Amino acid sequence: MRRPRISRPAPALRDVAEELAAYARACGADEAEVSVVDGYEFNVDVRKGRIETLIEAGARSAGLRVIKDKKTAYASSSDLDRGTLRRLVRHAVRRAELGNPDEFAALAPLSRERVDPAALDLYDPAIAELDSRAKIGLARETERIALRDKRITNSYGATFASNEIRSVLALTNGFIGEYQQTYCGLGLGLQAGDTDHRVEDSWSSSKRHLKDLETPEAIARKAVERTVRQLNPRKIPTQNVPVIFEPTQTAWLLGFLFGCVAGTAVYQKATFLEGKLGQRIGNERVTIIDDALRPGALGSHPFDSDGLPCRRTVVIDKGVLKSYLCNYYAARKLGLESTGSADGSGVGPANFYWEPGPGAQRAEDIIAGTAKGLLLIRTLGHGLNSVTGDISRGAFGLWIEDGRVAYPVTEITIAGHLGRVLESIEAVGTDLEFLNPITGPTVKVAEMTVGGQ
Amino acid sequence: MGTSKKAASVRTIGARKGPSRPADRPWGQSPSTSCPDPRSALQAPLPYVDHFGLPPSDLRSVLDTALSSGGEFAEIFMEHRTYDFINMEEDIIKETAEAVSLGLGIRVVCGDRTGFGYTSDLALDKVRKTAETAAAIARGRAAQVRTPPLRDRTCGTSRYLVRRPVHKVPLGEKIQLVREAYDGARYFDPRIVKVKVLHSDSLVHVCIANSEGLLVRDTRPLVKLVCVAISEDGAKRESGYWGGGGRVGWEFFRDVQSPREIGQEAAREAILLLGAIDPPAGEMPIVLAPGHSGVLIHEAVGHLLEADFNRKKTSIFWNKMGKRVGSDLVTIYDDPTIPAFRGSYNIDDEGTPPRRTLLIEKGFVRGLLQDKLSARLMGGAPLTGHGRRQDYSHWPIPRMSNTYIAPGSDAPDDILRSVKKGFYVASLSGGQVEDSGKFTFSVSLGYLIEDGQMTAPVKQATLIGTNIDILKKIDRVGNDLAFGLQTGTCSKEGQDVPVNDGCPTLRIAKMTVGGRS
Repeated sequence: MRRPRISRPAPALRDVAEELAAYARACGADEAEVSVVDGYEFNVDVRKGRIETLIEAGARSAGLRVIKDKKTAYASSSDLDRGTLRRLVRHAVRRAELGNPDEFAALAPLSRERVDPAALDLYDPAIAELDSRAKIGLARETERIALRDKRITNSYGATFASNEIRSVLALTNGFIGEYQQTYCGLGLGLQAGDTDHRVEDSWSSSKRHLKDLETPEAIARKAVERTVRQLNPRKIPTQNVPVIFEPTQTAWLLGFLFGCVAGTAVYQKATFLEGKLGQRIGNERVTIIDDALRPGALGSHPFDSDGLPCRRTVVIDKGVLKSYLCNYYAARKLGLESTGSADGSGVGPANFYWEPGPGAQRAEDIIAGTAKGLLLIRTLGHGLNSVTGDISRGAFGLWIEDGRVAYPVTEITIAGHLGRVLESIEAVGTDLEFLNPITGPTVKVAEMTVGGQ
Repeated sequence: MGTSKKAASVRTIGARKGPSRPADRPWGQSPSTSCPDPRSALQAPLPYVDHFGLPPSDLRSVLDTALSSGGEFAEIFMEHRTYDFINMEEDIIKETAEAVSLGLGIRVVCGDRTGFGYTSDLALDKVRKTAETAAAIARGRAAQVRTPPLRDRTCGTSRYLVRRPVHKVPLGEKIQLVREAYDGARYFDPRIVKVKVLHSDSLVHVCIANSEGLLVRDTRPLVKLVCVAISEDGAKRESGYWGGGGRVGWEFFRDVQSPREIGQEAAREAILLLGAIDPPAGEMPIVLAPGHSGVLIHEAVGHLLEADFNRKKTSIFWNKMGKRVGSDLVTIYDDPTIPAFRGSYNIDDEGTPPRRTLLIEKGFVRGLLQDKLSARLMGGAPLTGHGRRQDYSHWPIPRMSNTYIAPGSDAPDDILRSVKKGFYVASLSGGQVEDSGKFTFSVSLGYLIEDGQMTAPVKQATLIGTNIDILKKIDRVGNDLAFGLQTGTCSKEGQDVPVNDGCPTLRIAKMTVGGRS
């Protein structure tokens, strides 16, 4: 029987990581990688002026990869008890022996380049210093402003959340890296209309620095506008028309594109862009960047989970596919170079965005230049297939006639193919903002099928 | 990334696909049985002190700490989870993984406010500090409630059908199983160019103690074997998916569903899609295959009868209890008690014994899926045992378990023959709904219906509608109730839980198909 443990001063994360990596070597692993994360989370939901839930918690976790005779095993734990972690290491070494050798399995060689975490501006002490009452106050204020609008008939509530995270990575090749980061976010969800004709939307702002967060006024105003503009929608017949993606919609299109340029999908032939490196896959308006080095941005980080320095990568340059995004493993499989995109056992985005370019237009002008079309404002459902590039989703939009918004439309679908979308971009907006790690401006696609009655 | 996400309105099911002929599968065809299997090998779970190191006397004093600022209800949810994973791709066992998670969450409720804290450090002083954090929600009044002595009320029967526990099977045997599924797909057809097989199994010990004196435990096994196959023919490339599992033992893959069959079915779908055409677009009659088309019911009905959305009046159903919302052919249940099913459990994550819950009866709204908080705030509504959480770091909210539409009387062939021109949904990859009742689901494989016959296969379509409109348009219900693949996961407010759903062959008079023209 295990007795209640006595709480001891926690060993420094760095020591836990280095000791565990060394222990893996002692247990017979040829190479090992250990990451340890210590996080603190605060979250408050306020609805109709009252606190609904309040969460405060700290949590630690450790993850490890061992390679023995070119065979790989992973393990992770939220229990940082030394005995538990050492047992997981022993299990992992034993499990690795039962796998198959993979000639590409190896830790990345130690890089001489390092990115200084301080230069990335990832940590804001003001978030740690802000007291709970102020955080609750921000959420309450945001909702209060929105509910003053009589067109708003119900609230999903407002949320303030913040995180402080310290991460350490130790590799048996001698790499040791450590950095601290913060996030904070403020958001609000609303409904308008009576019960059988409800419309809903939300707005939120997420930043690494408290001072960069949008104000409660701005968030409330955007959430209200986004919600009420959908009131009294119409249904439309099926037709092929130009579709203008708002920045929030460009973001999911880019998320889908990310999955199609991830090196792990490429070697598994799970993307329609396999074999297209160096080829034109879009028109000259399509330039896509993944940049981990943008100071203060949500997706920036100094090193990836292979211990390689992060960087800025041009993925698509004026329509030409320049680079897949690879961790060290996928890069070796494909005979390419890692882009510093390792994220656990897969590949992840840094700040993956669509660069507006010199011909970019104001979003208002893109709408004004559209005789007939759909301004896409929300989507529902999945319907994205990276193997084929097919897109098929439920949608909500604003119908454009003669360069102006005519009325909202509902119960429609949009369908197309990512390859053909990228080849037929008619306009790109100037309205790029780094709201999320994956982000883009307004873009106009020449034609997609809008399904309706 | 822990940024603010107002996700109350976004609920999705990821990674789900459906069988095209589930009637072939005897597994899971008797949804109304709720008789626990006395042979379960997981019966005597280890005493909680072994996993959590916290005897009942300590738990009781922590609950009193949680109530020290005047909260009305306090609860400790302890969880120990072990998880094993195998990935085979490119003809090799590429990696294996093991994960351990241990921690507890403490909740304090005061009126309609909830304070919540969690910790992965179970040292008593850390646990007590977590209780103090959660207690802060009640803001300072003296304790109103004291916890009575905790009595262990763990029930001795189990709904998990386990003869040989999967967590005790040596890795070598699991690898053999993965290889069988892999080979089933790889050698199905020369046009299969890549195969990926994932095996995962977990064992979760939970122990719940609350200020009402409840102390209860459950030990939940869960197994999943899935295969993705990629086919290629010239420049065309497609993928197929199949899987199986549930709260079952190792014998499942011998007695009920063979790994080879899982691989073959994934490959069959990938090959079939190579010859598929783009979907039609516009409104047309729809026939849904039995089994995983239950995603429709999950989205169109289940989510919007979760009690929290009705208490907050955000759901289109909030003012429709007892009222007609569908045709009289539509009767819908959610049942956490079906033996061996992925969505089943012996107790929910608040310690409530679950029961089969009638949601819609012949078109009329009859019930909600309740958790303790909503039931109390709705004036003492009866508990249904649907308070679930992803893990110890989340608080419980009302969730579905196994949701299905009850069988009707029509022969499936008659339903198909009744449609002159329409769309047959064979296989689904997921769906989403918002509180207004607008919902979609994604079809990975369908067929055109022409003169009552399934003709050309169709790929990648999205169907969209509003629930109170579509439920009225369900005008034929088959006698062939079947359930999905036992691989589904439902996501709500950032929390993922395993679910399953089912339905018989259905006809919807008219629904919008999102295709290309």
